[in-house]
Amino acid sequence: MQPEKFYYDNKIVRNFAIATIVWGIVGMLVGLLIAVQLYHPAANMGTQYTTFGRIRPLHTNAVIFAFVGNAIFMGVYYSLQRLLKTRMFSDVLSNIHFWGWQLIIVAAAITLPLGLTTSHEYAELEWPIDIAITLIWVVFGINMFGTIIKRRERHLYVAIWFYIATFVTIAVLHICNSIELPVSMWKSYMVYAGVQDALVQWWYGHNAVAFFLTTPYLGMMYYFLPKMANRPVYSYKLSILHFWALIFIYIWAGPHHLLYTTLPGWAQSLGVAFSVMLIAPSWGGMINGLLTLRGAWDKVRDDVVLKFMVVGLTAYGMATFEGPMLSLKQVNGFAHFTDWIIAHVHVGAMGWNGFLTFAILYWLIPRIYKTELFSKKLASFHFWIGTLGILFYVIPIYWAGFTQSFMLKEFTPEGILKYPNFLETTLRVIPMYIMRSVGGTLYLTGVITMAYNLFRTMKQGSLAANEAAQAMPLEPVVKEAHEHSWHRVLERRPIQFMVLALVVILIGSFVELMPTLTIKSNIPTIASVKPYTPLELQGRDLYIREGCLACHSQTVRPFRSETERYGEYSKAGEFVYDHPFLWGSERKGPDLAREGGMKSNQWHYYHLMDPRSVSQGSIMPNYDWLTSQTLDTSLTAAKINAMRKLGVPYPVGYEKRANADLDKQAKGIADDLAQNNVKVKSNKEIVAIIAYLQRLGVDIKANKTANNN
Amino acid sequence: MFEQFTKGLSGSQVYLISSMIVFVVFFVVVTVVLIRLKKQHINHMGQLPLEDSTLLNPSKSLQS
Repeated sequence: MQPEKFYYDNKIVRNFAIATIVWGIVGMLVGLLIAVQLYHPAANMGTQYTTFGRIRPLHTNAVIFAFVGNAIFMGVYYSLQRLLKTRMFSDVLSNIHFWGWQLIIVAAAITLPLGLTTSHEYAELEWPIDIAITLIWVVFGINMFGTIIKRRERHLYVAIWFYIATFVTIAVLHICNSIELPVSMWKSYMVYAGVQDALVQWWYGHNAVAFFLTTPYLGMMYYFLPKMANRPVYSYKLSILHFWALIFIYIWAGPHHLLYTTLPGWAQSLGVAFSVMLIAPSWGGMINGLLTLRGAWDKVRDDVVLKFMVVGLTAYGMATFEGPMLSLKQVNGFAHFTDWIIAHVHVGAMGWNGFLTFAILYWLIPRIYKTELFSKKLASFHFWIGTLGILFYVIPIYWAGFTQSFMLKEFTPEGILKYPNFLETTLRVIPMYIMRSVGGTLYLTGVITMAYNLFRTMKQGSLAANEAAQAMPLEPVVKEAHEHSWHRVLERRPIQFMVLALVVILIGSFVELMPTLTIKSNIPTIASVKPYTPLELQGRDLYIREGCLACHSQTVRPFRSETERYGEYSKAGEFVYDHPFLWGSERKGPDLAREGGMKSNQWHYYHLMDPRSVSQGSIMPNYDWLTSQTLDTSLTAAKINAMRKLGVPYPVGYEKRANADLDKQAKGIADDLAQNNVKVKSNKEIVAIIAYLQRLGVDIKANKTANNN
Repeated sequence: MFEQFTKGLSGSQVYLISSMIVFVVFFVVVTVVLIRLKKQHINHMGQLPLEDSTLLNPSKSLQS
């Protein structure tokens, strides 16, 4: 049998590499901007398109799906071809994948600042873009499996298993978390409501971390680290155990994002138990990576690429130790909703994803350009300023989290809250916010240095767009009568492998999701909780548009420090009409679950127009366009119809009367404002959002009044 | 105050226990599979990333 000659496609790898760098800089710049906005409200720039609530999702989406996403595809397209000794299945599909993904990113960059969002964290994009993501993901899948099928290496290396698991699980997660009912071209409602919606979202959110930020990077680690260190992975057996245990356990851990909420207790306990177990496979992977460098630590001293890998793996180890700790209920009760979580995710994002990406870029670009890296000194500078950047970012922000949580939970000896005004705790952490943005600037400086260094590297070399290679073709499979190992057989059969990985991730998903989604008694209803009025519903959509939930939660946990501050703890039955749920994940300002009736309409008006006029030192942006923009009531009927389809009990035919009711309620609020010397037309957006804020948590109070009578 | 959590547990412990059993069984199965893997195969698999260079030794068999 003669060896076959073929060509690796390096051009597609280069394209994804450039996209990684460009979107990385964009995503981090937006991150820096929102960091500054948190202590300098003028940085919101006075337009609705650049306020924190709208561009925070832009930052998270850009970093996760644009920077990390393109880096994944770069790594996969490079390693897959070489591990399988073949060119990618189809150049056309490769290009459709590349340009399709970039178009999706551009669509996100346009729609998110416009306020077109589903409000589900890391899944904010509206339904037409969700469909585009699905299609492009399928293109990626066909291209990957096509390549696997025409391979010249019989067995699939562990990196490829991670890629397969990534592909299949992200497909399941994306589809299940995007089941929404379109109201118009750019507006939809989530099919699930309240606690069910929350469970689906955080099953998704947690596993997006697992299967987008972790498994593909572990696959890349298993390929690139042995290449960089020029030695095989420390233990291939450990990598097999690592793979199966990781994908099996990760999928169960989502509910640790919902501890002390109204999620059924058993689901919370399940999430905690599996989160704690998760430390074993995570550290197994980290140790396998670090021990691959055994006997090569002298190389680490000289080789900046390995330095990035070592710090990246260490950050992974830190983040995956911290994760299980944070899932313990006692720790979570303290840390959740604070900046501690922001610090935790940035150890992972900047350290693990960022540094691994930089290492791979520094290693890969000179190779496909057939040259040396332009400047090792600049790369070394990047390593040090990047590491310092991470430290300057995370240490102050950990400190801010601890400080704020301690203050929010502190009582005086007399038993009253020591800091009853939330704002006091915010003002205390402003210096840490300033420090954090310094850390971010250092980190970004490193990335820009890298961009320059790699640009010069590309310029001095020339791209080997089609790199010649040679390998023996696969012989027809001869039935191996004494094939002992079941796993060894599996490694030759990609489709069966994918199905098995799918089964493994579906086990946890079903046990975790199905009872809450299907058993009614898990969500006790409350008779006094009624659907939103049309004006409140419109106001709620404005709340979603402005991204208020980026800073304000809507769920009171059963702690005395919270019930004293906000009021009665939240019940599952309060959220049954909330498509989507709006609990949020972070408190930059106070919780709003019990906001209704606490303050006057006039206060809300001034507070939205200029928060500092009523709360000295507030970091909330001004929302003055809410008084100039007229509420769009053309969709009211469609919204009522959609809600009814989802099970909200609006009477049949109510959609025809809805706008009349809306006008009436709006006029009432405008009249009340007029009596308090605030002149605003009743058809302005601000009236709707005030109506919504005044409704929050009111129903349950009505219940109490009724019971007392 | 914590009634809502404890109430949710009743009758659902079967989920906690069965999922733990599922995990233990899964873990044992993977371990058994690992123990049964041949060393020669493991070495071959570990070497895969290192032998992707553009020109392979044509005499090398692809059969593991």
